[in-house]
Amino acid sequence: MLSYLLATLTFAGIYGMLALGLNVIWGMTGMINLGLAGYFAVGAYASALLTTAAGLPILVGAAIGIAAAAVTGALTARLTLKLRGDYLAIVTLGFGELIRLIAANEIWLTNGSDGIPGIPGPFRSSLSPLEFNALFAAITVFAVAFCWALTERLRRSPYGRALRAIREDETAAAVAGKKVGAMKVQAFALGAALLGLAGVLYAHFTSYIAPDVFRPLLTIYIFLSLTAGGTGNPTGAVLGAVIVVVILEGSRFAEAILPAMSGAGAAALREITIGVLLIVIMRLRPEGLLAERPPKPLGATR
Amino acid sequence: MIGTCRPTRRAALAGLAAALAAPSIVRAQEGAIRFGTLTPLTGTGGTYGPAMRDAVIGAVRAVNANGGLLGRQIQIVSEDTQTSPEAAVRAARKLIDVDGVAAIMGTWASSVTTAVAPLCWESKTMLFTVSGADSITQLPHQGFIARTQPNSQLQIEVASRFMVDQGGTSFAWIGPQTPFAQSSIDILTAVAAEAGIEVESLIYEAEKSTYRSEVDTILRSDPDFIQLGGYAADSTVLLRDLWQAGYEGMIIGPAYAVNDSVVEALPAEVLEGVFTWEGAPAIDSEAYANVQQILGVETVDPYSAQTYDHANLAMLAIGKAGASSGQAIHDHLREISQGSGQATGSAVSGLGVLPGDVNYDGASGPCDFDEIGDITGTQFLFKRFENGAPVEFERV
Repeated sequence: MLSYLLATLTFAGIYGMLALGLNVIWGMTGMINLGLAGYFAVGAYASALLTTAAGLPILVGAAIGIAAAAVTGALTARLTLKLRGDYLAIVTLGFGELIRLIAANEIWLTNGSDGIPGIPGPFRSSLSPLEFNALFAAITVFAVAFCWALTERLRRSPYGRALRAIREDETAAAVAGKKVGAMKVQAFALGAALLGLAGVLYAHFTSYIAPDVFRPLLTIYIFLSLTAGGTGNPTGAVLGAVIVVVILEGSRFAEAILPAMSGAGAAALREITIGVLLIVIMRLRPEGLLAERPPKPLGATR
Repeated sequence: MIGTCRPTRRAALAGLAAALAAPSIVRAQEGAIRFGTLTPLTGTGGTYGPAMRDAVIGAVRAVNANGGLLGRQIQIVSEDTQTSPEAAVRAARKLIDVDGVAAIMGTWASSVTTAVAPLCWESKTMLFTVSGADSITQLPHQGFIARTQPNSQLQIEVASRFMVDQGGTSFAWIGPQTPFAQSSIDILTAVAAEAGIEVESLIYEAEKSTYRSEVDTILRSDPDFIQLGGYAADSTVLLRDLWQAGYEGMIIGPAYAVNDSVVEALPAEVLEGVFTWEGAPAIDSEAYANVQQILGVETVDPYSAQTYDHANLAMLAIGKAGASSGQAIHDHLREISQGSGQATGSAVSGLGVLPGDVNYDGASGPCDFDEIGDITGTQFLFKRFENGAPVEFERV
C-alpha cells in the first residue's frame, strides 16, 4: 500500500510539474500549448537515450534533457511568434504529434514503437522497490517544490507582470516598451524546460518510454489540472494536478464501493467523470479553485 | 489571498484522506487469492479488452463455484490500461501494491506490456500477456512473463509462406507503425525473395478516417496479394478503401484485425475472398466450448481465448504449488502446462487430478512454453470469407 501511495505521489508530482510548465506558457503568458506532450517527450527521450545508449550519468542526461526541451520550446515560440489563440493551438497540437511520430518512425534513434526499456533510475539496483519509490517520490516532491517557488517568484516579479501584460494585450505591452517577441520566446523556453524536466522524471521513474506514452490524452489531463486549480497561479497548478491524480486513482476504488459498476463500465465512468468535471469547472468557476489574484509586489509587507 | 484559500486546501486534504482511507473500508474478503486483469477497456484496444476480462472472470467463477482454490476463493481485480503505458503503469502499481495480486493477465499493447513488465518481475508477480512483439520475451524478466500469443516473427513467416503457396506473384504489406511493422516487412520480403517475388510496403499512421492516398500508393506497384498489419479499427477503413479503389487481388489479415467488428461494419462483398490467419484456437476442445459459453458467442476471438487460458494456467500452477504467490506460479507453470500429464481443458477438471500430473490444453492452443516464456507448438488456422462469414480454409 505504502509503495502504491509513494508511486501515486510521484505521478502527482510529474503531473504537477507538467501543469507548472503549462502555467508559465499558457497561464502567465497566454500562449496556448496543446503540444505539451511533445516537450515532455523531448525531455524524456533525450535523457533516456543519453543514459542508456551513451551511458552517461543520470544527472548529465537530466540536464541535457531539460535543455533540449527548452531549446525546442524556444524554437517553436520563435517560429509561431505571430500566431495567437486558435492558430497557435493548432500548430502546437501538430507539433506534439510530430514529436510522437518522429519517436515512432525514426527507429535508428528512438527504437521506434518498441520504445526504450531499462532506463536507469537513481540507485535502483541497490534499493528495494519500496525504497526506490520513496527516494523517487522525495526527489519529485523536491523538484516540484523548487519549480513552484521559482515560478511563484517569477509571477511576483516585474518580469511576471510584463508577461501578464503580454497575455492581456500584446499591442499595449509593446507600446509600453516591453520586448514582446523576446519575452514570449523566453517564457515558452522556460515552460518547455519544466515540461522536459517532467519527462526526465517520468523516464527515470518508470524505466521505460515509448511513443504511446505521449498521446494527446495526457495533454487533456494537464489542461484539466491547470483549469481546475487556477490558470496563472502556480499553487493552483500543483493543486489541480493533485486533484486530477486523486480522481484518476481514486476512481479505481469505486468498483469496490459500487459493485454494480464494474469493468468497462467503471473505465468509461472514469473518462466521463473527467469530461464532466471539466465542463462543470468551466461553467461554475472558470477561473479555477484558486483564482489568480494580482500578486503583492516583492518586498511589500503583508 | 491566503485567508480565502485555506478552507479549500483543507477540503482538498480531507478529500485526499478520504480517498486513501476508502480501500481499507472496502477491502473485504481477506484471505481470497487475487488476480488482476489489466486489459484495454478504453483507447485503441478498447474493442478487445472487455471480452478478455469477461473470459478471465468466467474461468475463475467456475473454480469458485466448485469450492475455490486451496480452500480459498479467488477474487478478480480489473484495471484499465487505457491502451497507454503511462496509465497502465499506474494501474499495475495499484494491482501489485494495494491488491497484492499473484498474477496480472491480459496486457495487450506491446508498449503496455513492456512498461508494466519491470514492476512485475521486481515484485515477483507473474505477467500473462497477449502481446506479440518479439522484444518482450527478450527482456530480463527472470521467467515472470508468459505469453500465449505466438511471437510476431513466427506469425508473419507462416502468413508469408501461405501467400507464396496461394500463387501470388506480386506482394504488398501495409500496416501502421508498431513494434513489429518493420520486422514483418523484412520477413515477408525474405520469404517472397526465395520465390522470386517483389514486395512493396507502406507504414501508415493509425487512427485516420481514410487511407485513400496510402491505398493509391500501394496499388501503384500493382500487387495481387496484400498482407495487412494493423488492428480492427484501421483495417476496417483500409479494406473499405481498397475495395472502393477497385482492387481485385487477394488480401490476408490477422484474425484479430479482421474480426467480428469488421464484419459488422462492412458489407459482405467488401470482405469476399479475404483471408485471415491466427494461432489455431482449439475449436473442438473443452476449453473453447467453455469460453463460448462464458462469452455467449459462436466464434471466440483469439485474445479472449488466451486470457481464459491465463486464468486457468495461474490457478493450476497455484494448485500444483500449494501456495498462492506469484513466485509459486512462476515455479510451477511449466509443470501443469506441458508434459505427459493428463490433458485437461479447465482448472476445475485439472484441480481434481492434482497432485497428479496434468497438462493444460487451452482454448487458444496447447499452451506449452519455452524457457523464455514464448509459446511453442502453435498450429495456425487460415480462413476465407465467403458470403460475409469466415470459413475454414486450411490448417498449418
